[in-house]
Amino acid sequence: MNPLAFEDARPPALLALEDGTCLRGYACGALGEAFGEVVFNTSMVGYQEIVTDPSYAGQIVTLTYPQVGNYGVSELAMQSAGTALKGLVVRDMCHIPSHWQSAGSFPDFLRAHNVVAIEGVDTRALTLRIRNTGAMRAAISTVDLNPESLVARVIASPAISAHNYVADVSPRQERKVPADAQALEKRLAVGKPALHVVAYDCGEKRGIEDELAVAGCTVTCVPFDTPASRVLSLAPDGVFFSNGPGDPQQVTQTAQAAKDILGKVPVFGICLGNQLVSMAAGAQIEKLPFGHHGGNEPVMNLLTHRVEVTAQNHNYGLVFESMGPLVPELSGAETEHVHDLRHWVERGIAPVVETKNHGRVRLTHVNLNDGTPEGIQFLDIPAFSVQYHPESRPGPHDSRYLFQAFVRLMDAWRERDDGASRVSPAYLSIDVREGRPHHAEA
Amino acid sequence: MPRREDINKVLVIGSGPIVIGQACEFDYSGTQACRVLRREGYEVVLVNSNPATIMTDPETADRTYVEPITVDAVSKIIERERPDALLPNMGGQTALNCAVALGEAGVLDRFDVEVIGCDLDSIRIGEDRELFAAAMRDIGLEVAASGFAHTLDEALATSEELGYPVVIRPSFTLGGAGGGIAHNANELRVIASQGLSLSPTTEVLVEQSIEGWKEIEMEVMRDATGNGIVICSIENVDPMGVHTGDSITVAPAQTLSDMELQRLRDYSLACLERVGVATGGSNVQFAVNPSDGRVIVIEMNPRVSRSSALASKATGFPIAKAAALLAVGYTLDEITNDITRVTPACFEPSIDYCVVKVPRFAFEKFKGTSEELTTRMKSVGEAMAIGRTFEEALQKALRSLEDGHDGLSDEGQLFDEDRFDELVAGPTAERIYYVAEALRRGWTVEHIARVSSIDPWYLHRIADIITAERTISRLGLAGMDRRCLLAAKQMGFSDAQIAHLVHSKEDVIRAVREALGVLPVVKTVDTCAGEFAAQTSYHYLTYEDGNASEHVEAGKPRVVILSAGPNRIGQGIEFDYCCVHAAYALREMGYETVMVNCNPETVSTDYDTSDRLYFEPLTFEDVMNVIEVEQPAGVIVTLGGQTPIKLAHRLEEAGVPLMGTSSEAIDLAEDRDRFSALLDRLAIPYPPSSVASTPEEARGAARTLGYPLIVRPSYVLGGRGMAIVYSDEALASYMEEAAHITPDHPVYLDAFLEDAIELDVDALADGEDCYVGAVLEHIEECGIHSGDSACCYPPFSLSDVMVERIRQTTRELARSCEIRGLLNVQYAVKDEQLYVIELNPRASRTVPFSSKASGVALAKHAARIMAGKPIGSLGLPSETREPSHFAVKEAVMPWARFPGSDVRLGPEMRSTGEVMGIAATFPEAYAKTRQAIDYEMPAEGSVFISVRDADKRSIAPVAFALAQMGYRIMATKGTAKTLRAAGISCEVLMRIGEGHPNVLDRITEGDISFIINTPHGHGSRGDGEALRSEAVNRGISLVSTLSGATALLQALATLRESAGLPVYALQDLSSAPTDHGTSRA
Repeated sequence: MNPLAFEDARPPALLALEDGTCLRGYACGALGEAFGEVVFNTSMVGYQEIVTDPSYAGQIVTLTYPQVGNYGVSELAMQSAGTALKGLVVRDMCHIPSHWQSAGSFPDFLRAHNVVAIEGVDTRALTLRIRNTGAMRAAISTVDLNPESLVARVIASPAISAHNYVADVSPRQERKVPADAQALEKRLAVGKPALHVVAYDCGEKRGIEDELAVAGCTVTCVPFDTPASRVLSLAPDGVFFSNGPGDPQQVTQTAQAAKDILGKVPVFGICLGNQLVSMAAGAQIEKLPFGHHGGNEPVMNLLTHRVEVTAQNHNYGLVFESMGPLVPELSGAETEHVHDLRHWVERGIAPVVETKNHGRVRLTHVNLNDGTPEGIQFLDIPAFSVQYHPESRPGPHDSRYLFQAFVRLMDAWRERDDGASRVSPAYLSIDVREGRPHHAEA
Repeated sequence: MPRREDINKVLVIGSGPIVIGQACEFDYSGTQACRVLRREGYEVVLVNSNPATIMTDPETADRTYVEPITVDAVSKIIERERPDALLPNMGGQTALNCAVALGEAGVLDRFDVEVIGCDLDSIRIGEDRELFAAAMRDIGLEVAASGFAHTLDEALATSEELGYPVVIRPSFTLGGAGGGIAHNANELRVIASQGLSLSPTTEVLVEQSIEGWKEIEMEVMRDATGNGIVICSIENVDPMGVHTGDSITVAPAQTLSDMELQRLRDYSLACLERVGVATGGSNVQFAVNPSDGRVIVIEMNPRVSRSSALASKATGFPIAKAAALLAVGYTLDEITNDITRVTPACFEPSIDYCVVKVPRFAFEKFKGTSEELTTRMKSVGEAMAIGRTFEEALQKALRSLEDGHDGLSDEGQLFDEDRFDELVAGPTAERIYYVAEALRRGWTVEHIARVSSIDPWYLHRIADIITAERTISRLGLAGMDRRCLLAAKQMGFSDAQIAHLVHSKEDVIRAVREALGVLPVVKTVDTCAGEFAAQTSYHYLTYEDGNASEHVEAGKPRVVILSAGPNRIGQGIEFDYCCVHAAYALREMGYETVMVNCNPETVSTDYDTSDRLYFEPLTFEDVMNVIEVEQPAGVIVTLGGQTPIKLAHRLEEAGVPLMGTSSEAIDLAEDRDRFSALLDRLAIPYPPSSVASTPEEARGAARTLGYPLIVRPSYVLGGRGMAIVYSDEALASYMEEAAHITPDHPVYLDAFLEDAIELDVDALADGEDCYVGAVLEHIEECGIHSGDSACCYPPFSLSDVMVERIRQTTRELARSCEIRGLLNVQYAVKDEQLYVIELNPRASRTVPFSSKASGVALAKHAARIMAGKPIGSLGLPSETREPSHFAVKEAVMPWARFPGSDVRLGPEMRSTGEVMGIAATFPEAYAKTRQAIDYEMPAEGSVFISVRDADKRSIAPVAFALAQMGYRIMATKGTAKTLRAAGISCEVLMRIGEGHPNVLDRITEGDISFIINTPHGHGSRGDGEALRSEAVNRGISLVSTLSGATALLQALATLRESAGLPVYALQDLSSAPTDHGTSRA
């Protein structure tokens, strides 16, 4: 809100970056200090979903759309019980929202959840700096308004990779999420049994639980460090590895569980889950310069040759070349890896590699902006995963079909011939148009 | 899929003349399409009747036909050119309708032409509301409850069933023409009968009203493989009930949550799938109930539209260019994003600023019509502004309109106290100012939201502006520190607004601001909110703490071109055309061109027209900001119409180097006294004239000059407030009203040369030499505004001697005024005497027409001259060469949009656009212009004739010829007497007051094919007015001047004799309009 329109004086705030950049503004959330890694998100709406997404643990999020808070806050938008991010940076905060579903203002919400936030800064200049320099350590303070001092303290603060943020946001207890009654009824009506999914909750967004439920699954969410034996003892039809914050290499317990579970039951992973599943197959993980955070990332599905506009939120990703050598007969006779995976988009081929641990893995999805891998499918065991967020929230619904694909995989696995170790990979080939919720309803 | 190899030649149909609801956005889209298709190696054939377009430049397409967009003409073009494919979705509803008609006439099948970009069935579903409603129900989307009516009785019955209020939407009309909201049976009768008569299928949809709901538009693209993306969401500040073209609109949508927005995205994509849009851009409109989020689909347009042009400019995503590529087989992922050049077009733009569009109206020119905004579009143009917040963008947009507002301030605003409450609640052009004033007067946001249905979010933001106003006033200039001033600028306050609030002067505020370091920063429109580096220089200015500017120094000298701002009557696409040409010519000469404009419809605001684009208002402050950032070698102010001309003096005072004609020369030409003195010195005759500031002075002047007089306020364009007066009474009432128009400016009085021939001359001058590009002879006599008059190149009734005298006089004037660049002189010829009416030291409205008719790209040459090239070096063809053809320009009038205002040509310009006809003879060329406007000429039936006394002598030959051609003649008593005396048999019709059946009844019954009615010079309200207005309602051709009637008669005769007029490609004309300038340059 513009200072000239604000009747009362507001506490000033300071944002400092490790490269020495300092931006002054006003507090528009809780007072205090927050240290974290500064990233930007280009979604134009969905601020409440963003701040309640546990994957942002450890981060200070800059929203590139300048006016934030317009439609207030609502329980329906919550992606977890609270907030996990460190701080929020906006250009202009709306203090008097307007919406029929609004239960309060966004600044009040931030204060209630103790999120330090700053408004009035040039978020575009900040975004360009992050784009050019990469994600950096940063701090917002309403206490220490001395640039030199705050920058020095930022430089002295630990890097995000030094901490396992998953441990902070993963629940301590197991809990059950019932299947959507209508969806279940539909399944039963066509003679399909109820499905039970065990989800490793590394900071799982509610949107994922909702989508699994709407796909007709009963979900048991378990803590990130639950041993595989416990999970398998729950007799799941499938195991899901959720999104979550930070460096996947810190999440050793869940990585181990992925190794133990792959090949035994159908597996689906999203975001951090994708990284853990690919690490289990032998992939290396890299940190992207400033990650993908937004709701407009184009992803090519190499199986259907359709583009999905996807919601994304990650700083780490797998290195496809590191998963193993190409299988030429399944990769258009090519033997050499190409780093920019848009090569495969141009050729219209979904290449396959031979992994150390889990047989052949096919590249199924590629980011069209930068040629990074966005999805893989195991051909010799029942598993697939994507780097982006098919549940979106916020973002487009194009990739909702992936939850349907998971159900198809679990059904195929149940119905496979005795002793078969794999099922036809056709479960994943769903046209994005059929996946959009509206068509499913019609 | 890569480009299609099975097609080589593509026919693109343009949108014809600028009319309300279909303006230069289709030039922008069509030009993009032609360019990209040629770049891809296709041969492009273009048809468009509008000469003022960049798309009809002979360089844009391979084969350019400036011909009527009729089945007849386009069939001939198809027959001659044999295109493989037809791309109809770039030319608005006109092109789609033409494609449907060509299909129905079997032409497409006969010549094996494939429609690409959309298919005819999807056009039908998109446009036929019954089919559309059924299609939407198919996919589970709600549409407003409705029923179709083909008669008034059916409409009444349906309305009773649905309950009032109801919305009337005629099928297949432009911009919702003929639609409206009826609150009771009486209103329904009026609106429904209009709608039925305007609909080509005599069909209207009567629909449950959802007035007051949020109106949201989604701009969507789809490719042949089914990839779909949403380019932009647009929210209307004015809720449902106001046509989106007349609404203040905002991008992206501000008041919807992610859940709501994504649902609309799903619906939009499903809608395109169901309607069967093969490829390209479409626009889907929704109504969203603000109290429960319920969604209703309003309509979809399976083509690029005004909204898609806005979305393109708002996001930087070139929708039309992409749509053209999709039509020839590419998929979205195969097209590269022009702005980033490293990412594909298959993504959804994210923007990090707010865009506000405000409409520009022209009600002052259509007195008597209702100013209430309805579902029927009435605005004539629009301005768009970019800011980091809604508040900033709104204030910038309002000052971009150039209608006297510096922003949302109350300065100079007269509020109608009697109707104040009503004007806050109801939609009019002024509502935004009433809402702001209501907040100033202490109304609560809740109350205003209740009465206006404007979303409280917008009202709170406006309330914030009002609070800021108060804070600024309270602090005063002395109390404003750097942070306060920065905050004010961030809210979009102009220096002038701040000056008003703190009782200071604009210049003082600017100086203080600069001293405090509160300077604008350059930001970039990059489609991706900064995620990727932008390779194009599409900018806006804003204010940010930290002064992080994205300005990059250029290696070459820069020229800033100031364009024309929002379209308005009198200043439209023609000026934008000139600015675009200047950009092309100067870029060729090695300059880096910098365009400044705020009109989202235009080619000039395409990011690749110039090297740099600043989407900024054309006020002194905003222009100076750009100039201070860019430090240009020169600034061009003479090509964008009155808008930049008005800035010339202040810019020069501020030390800005103007290119071409100096502000001193501009002043010499525009200052009546100085100009008259010059004419006296040169012994060039001009109509005697005088100046008056009071009614007494005016009466005194009239005594000396004698009646009739042409009166007008000083410094206006398009004859704003101009009138011809015949008596003391008329003069007195004019003076009373004139005071309203421009206070502190005198009124000019000129002796009116009745029945003189008027001429327009467009010429180039370099300070010494002068080249007369075109002498245009008007069809209508003096007294009809030159913008509303038809004209012909070359002159068809003047002797060579007279034409030479005109050239000589023009040369003398150009030299004496030291013009460097373009000039336009208006002359009158009466009794073989040549009079100068006025000299415009700038590009005129006729430059595009003159350039196309003569084959000399005048605006490009003007730019070269301004950059220092002498005329002798330009390689221009001889002035006295004999053209092989006649070219006629005819004006297009918006009468049907403004029921209640008098339908007659006069000294005040009221046309919105123009068409051009090219043929071997003048009558043929004129006939083509009539076809281009009316699409059909009345080949038989009855002609009703009623003329003023002065025309009675001359009407007989016209009527005689019409009778000979088989038309039945009807006339009023007086006219009939003259006709009978001349031996022409005619039926006498009663006047309106005389009983029944009178002339109105006969019109209503559909008995009359066209009307010749010349109004009396003075006070001809009454019969004639009712008659003309009914003719407009019924779509009956009406001629209101005798000269026009004569031309029409010749055209009808020509059409009768020939089986259809031959078509000409510009490239084939002997004086083919090519750009000669570069050959010897």
